[in-house]
Amino acid sequence: MKDPEELNIETEIGQLAFIESVLFVSKDPVEPERIMNYLNINDVEDFEMLILKMEKNYKENGRGIMIKRTGGGIQLTTKPQMHDFLKDFFTVRSSSRLSLASLETLSIIAYRQPVTIAEISDLRGVNSIGPVKNLLQKKLIKISGRKKVPGLPLLYSTTKEFLLYFGLNDLSELPSLEELTEMFEEKEQPSLFQ
Amino acid sequence: MESEVYNVHTEFFEGPLDLLLHLVRKNKMDIKDIKISEITSEYLYYLEDKSQINLSREGDFLMTASTLIYIKSRSLLPKPEILQEDSPEEKLMHTLVEYDKIQKISQLLKEMEGQTLLLWKREEIFEEFENKEFELEEVSSFQLAEVFLNIIRKKESEEFLYVDSKDYSIEKKWDEIMNLLEPDGYLDFYKYVETLNSIEEILVSFFCILEMIRQRVIIGVQKQLFAPISIWKTSTEDNPIQ
Repeated sequence: MKDPEELNIETEIGQLAFIESVLFVSKDPVEPERIMNYLNINDVEDFEMLILKMEKNYKENGRGIMIKRTGGGIQLTTKPQMHDFLKDFFTVRSSSRLSLASLETLSIIAYRQPVTIAEISDLRGVNSIGPVKNLLQKKLIKISGRKKVPGLPLLYSTTKEFLLYFGLNDLSELPSLEELTEMFEEKEQPSLFQ
Repeated sequence: MESEVYNVHTEFFEGPLDLLLHLVRKNKMDIKDIKISEITSEYLYYLEDKSQINLSREGDFLMTASTLIYIKSRSLLPKPEILQEDSPEEKLMHTLVEYDKIQKISQLLKEMEGQTLLLWKREEIFEEFENKEFELEEVSSFQLAEVFLNIIRKKESEEFLYVDSKDYSIEKKWDEIMNLLEPDGYLDFYKYVETLNSIEEILVSFFCILEMIRQRVIIGVQKQLFAPISIWKTSTEDNPIQ
């Protein structure tokens, strides 16, 4: 007798189930190419269709999890609305956030990489060795070489962990400096009428 | 300061640019057209007050104060016809424009950080209930060199009571390391070096390991920063480097 639960990964239902199970057991975002290779899907659009179906399913059916595209891969995460309950349930203290100094340093590295500590310190107006060390330890940045100037200072760049930490798919998702100015101009508008 | 009456004293200024930009915004000035004399007196007020500035950065605050005063004194003197490109006014303006961007990016990153922290991933659960397993990652030669230096320092402080005239060669070490890798496919770099007798031998072994990494016979992985580095044999079918 055939098991009614049996799934064939050549069918769409089977493929969806397979992807879901892969994402379920993976701690890190899974690269789409790996799944595509396994399922013999050659067209990125076909794969995209499957993911969109999954996303829709998670969105519409009152689920607690969702699909997040991050660091060039896909991952299952809980929905943001669950955060407070999860925190309560697992009695987790609030997660630590990056300090302002670290955020500033990271901003410079993200937009000007590769960059030296001297350049970062110059732009921030304060010595930035501390935040750079902290970010290195958190693996949000890495040493990417040496600058070919006297003293051969180390150059720093962002890492994949940086993308994951900020939920970015790749660096191009960061707004350009022009877009940034526009974004903030919009936000600052109401203050004119205060 | 009149304006202090309604200004809430919660802000804390990490650095001079932070404070300067705050003053520019508070006085609704254009970054490109700062009224230096107004800003300078307010800036000095904060510097004297000390309660809102990061005192470990006092030197940086003073540096900027001197720039402000210099610019202010220049403005009292008759101006040259053409403003030079690299005048301190220009430089300060440029620095502030750049810093303004940095602050905006920081704010954006902060928002993104907050949004991402709302999403829980598998990792979080592992972290709570088990000892989180660190992911092994390939280490850079910089990190490897750092570990190497630590070992050298340690060995240097040891006293050697015997004279060993053994010659070491990279070829011999290569075979030795390959043999050691044979049983488990990996080797604790730190422990291995501890078994070696002299700085010479460590040096030869280290160069041998570097050469092996270069030729992709082995890879060095580290669980976290400053953790011991282990050497793994790269297997042909599953090459972690690619």
